Amino acid sequence: MHVYIYDEYLNKTKHNRAINRLEIRLTDLGLNGKIIRLGGIKNIKGTIQNEIKLGAKTIIAVGNNQTVNKIIGAIIDTEIYGDFQKKTLLGLVPIGDDNSIAASFGIKNIDEACNILLARRVEKIDLGLVGNYYFLNQASIQSLGTTIEIDDYSLEITDKGEVRIINLLSDQKETIKSNPHDGKLDILIRTRRRDESLITVKNLKITNPQEKLIVDGVVEINTPVQIGIMKDKVSVIVGKDRLFE
Amino acid sequence: MFSKENKLEKFKDAETIIGASIKVKGNFQGQGNIIIEGALEGSLKTEANLFVGDRAKVVASIESKDAIINGELRGNIKARGYLALGGTAKIFGDIQYTELSVEKGAVINGQISMLAEGERRGENKKAEIKNEESEK
Repeated sequence: MHVYIYDEYLNKTKHNRAINRLEIRLTDLGLNGKIIRLGGIKNIKGTIQNEIKLGAKTIIAVGNNQTVNKIIGAIIDTEIYGDFQKKTLLGLVPIGDDNSIAASFGIKNIDEACNILLARRVEKIDLGLVGNYYFLNQASIQSLGTTIEIDDYSLEITDKGEVRIINLLSDQKETIKSNPHDGKLDILIRTRRRDESLITVKNLKITNPQEKLIVDGVVEINTPVQIGIMKDKVSVIVGKDRLFE
Repeated sequence: MFSKENKLEKFKDAETIIGASIKVKGNFQGQGNIIIEGALEGSLKTEANLFVGDRAKVVASIESKDAIINGELRGNIKARGYLALGGTAKIFGDIQYTELSVEKGAVINGQISMLAEGERRGENKKAEIKNEESEK
């Protein structure tokens, strides 16, 4: 059984056309299933967990990065996770802005998303963990004043720019390679002097008293904070144009 | 041997790059190739190769397979393979190597010695045994 989780913001009339198009396409492909609209639900975690208990084979996030993160947050580190890992796949249908996670999986629009759901190409993906918050793509922070502690050493950054802690790349033009199955995070530091640093780690602690860490482009987290990685934590339906091997 | 192309060819798949805006403090250990263009204080050890850029300032003991040094190093270096000191290299410490080349202009303040046969071969043997085990 497919369970489609529609995010709250899709209740707005400007998304009606996209939703209609999605539902017609899903019906054409024989992929229709149960629809859950988060707009009217207070206990989002409980609702998603219940669908997995009832035997959902695919949970599909219809929305943006936040929708995916809400679903992951409802599943990981809960008693339902064992069932989810054995039986359930995660699918994505991007609608609107902030869809870097879908882009990473090679899912650019509704039509592609439907075809990808039909093809059911599955990849196990690592999850980044910042404090108690899980992320698929990356966490980022301004570089100047940021200190990073890793194992037995620390990094201090002396120029303005950006620090990115990457699990899964979202930018097709990016020159570095990042593997979301390797159980490691890539720290990419780019400063205004076009200076680039790259370090691959399993765990780190990041501190910047002036700036907040932005996770998957939407969530702000105060530092100091520990960042880690959990290997092959989610099985995701991906497109052939995904940004990793 | 010190051309930019040469450096890029050998280090294009570098696992770790420490840029010019970064200061590293502590004991840094890696498995893959490492490029240092910034500052490092402490110690550095890698199973693979090391490149130190001409603006880099390293105050550390270093151990690697092949190493190309173009910057300033205050500390001892042990290159189990080939060690190349560029014309801008300034070394204040002891050097141990298997093969060595020194470009005109390089400054060396320390003892220079070739690694003992057993020491340099020992690393290779370990690697060979590991490879054989993985093949089995």
